[in-house]
Amino acid sequence: MTAMRKANAAYPFGFLDEYAKKEVRRTILKAIAIPGYQVPYSSREMPMGRGFGTGGLQLTLSIIGADDTLKVIDQGSDDSVNAVNLRSFIEMTCDGIDTTDITDEANVIQSRHRIPEKPLREDQVIVLQVPYPDPLVVVEPSEDKRKIMHGEADYSRLLVKLYEDIVQFDEITISHRYPTRINDHYVIDPSPIPRWDVPKLNQSKALVLLGAGREKKIYAVPPYTDAEPLAFDDVPFRVESFNDENGQRRCCDRCGDNTSFLDEFTSSVGNKVYQCSDSDWCREQLVAKGE
Amino acid sequence: MKKIEAIWLPEVQQNVFRGLMEVMSRPGKSINLAELAGNVMPARALLATLLDAEVTFCDHNGLLDESDWPLLQAKKATVEHANYILCHGDSAVDFEPMLGELSSPEHSATLVLVVENLSEGSSHLTFSGPGVNGEISVKVAGLNRDWLKQREQWISSFPLGVDLLLVDSSRVMAIPRTTKIEVTSWDM
Ligand SMILES: [Zn+2]
Repeated sequence: MTAMRKANAAYPFGFLDEYAKKEVRRTILKAIAIPGYQVPYSSREMPMGRGFGTGGLQLTLSIIGADDTLKVIDQGSDDSVNAVNLRSFIEMTCDGIDTTDITDEANVIQSRHRIPEKPLREDQVIVLQVPYPDPLVVVEPSEDKRKIMHGEADYSRLLVKLYEDIVQFDEITISHRYPTRINDHYVIDPSPIPRWDVPKLNQSKALVLLGAGREKKIYAVPPYTDAEPLAFDDVPFRVESFNDENGQRRCCDRCGDNTSFLDEFTSSVGNKVYQCSDSDWCREQLVAKGE
Repeated sequence: MKKIEAIWLPEVQQNVFRGLMEVMSRPGKSINLAELAGNVMPARALLATLLDAEVTFCDHNGLLDESDWPLLQAKKATVEHANYILCHGDSAVDFEPMLGELSSPEHSATLVLVVENLSEGSSHLTFSGPGVNGEISVKVAGLNRDWLKQREQWISSFPLGVDLLLVDSSRVMAIPRTTKIEVTSWDM
């Protein structure tokens, strides 16, 4: 602990210098004002490898203050190595903040791959880590051209690509990063969240901020804003089904809940086991059952 | 030694920023910035929070003291080219701010308008759009209606546009380019 305290003194609160924070903050306000637009910024080097959520981390470090309570999750879990590393880095550089595993207690939530099951509140903000921010990359290699397509809300080529997938596989096969139209204009990559989480972006009570450190982009879904997954009349958007072969909704092996997004495991005896992906949700269900 | 004013302190700027993030996310909601920043003019607190040498600024009506400029660090620019513009809300609009480009709508101005009152006033507006749960009623005093008329032009081809921050002597409220404004009654 003493060593950690000493390390603190070498950095300003939040690790980033005030100029870096100001730039991120200006970018955040622009991102909120232009919902879904990927606002460029000059992402700083962070003391961790790429792919460790540096974009999300820079967002969190630029917004957080000593009064905040932070939750960090990765794939729904507070205990995965990535989440633990990010949380301890933020704790070490942001003296005085509180951290929690409990979704209800947090007002700043940084996440990779999931949005908590529990509906977020107006006083919460969620920061999503984004590896690839631009959904148009699959149809247009030139960023200059993509920027014009985005500006014109011209997504015809993306829709054609999506439709080709459907014809080939008979359903929408995109399991995560489902292209989603914000406020009837920009289409975003909502980060690698499952389809299950995409409807949570629509008319969300909480502000959603998305950060891509390597691609140097920040974008936002403001609260109470339409977020519509791209779909077709004959192939509507559907979230993952957790029904078994008899059409019964599977439930969590641990807490028994049959409403949450489930992760599939193979047990030691070789059969399939399902558990809530959101560990705090699972804990809360167990508490509610008095276990 | 002279004590540094609260608005230049990182922890105060963090607080002010969170206020700005909140109002930008929820158009029509106003919050007390003076409380957060040690009883100063909110316009100064938010400019101190947002500006540095990377951006340009125009104090169009000369509302700031010359002594603020070195600390704000922003480069001076004409009103047509400034990233941030500070104006009196009661005067008519006499310029065309940057609206951004189709491929880079962020190259657009943020206007800080100083008005008389954001909590009461006989001009009644209804906001809707992103950030607003249905509709919200807003009262304002000391805003020239010309701003709303000009704004309609400036935001007419989304994503181009401008974003407004309205401030009175204590509070701040945001009107991003996506907000739809209906005038319910206007006092002139
Ligand atoms: Zn469970």
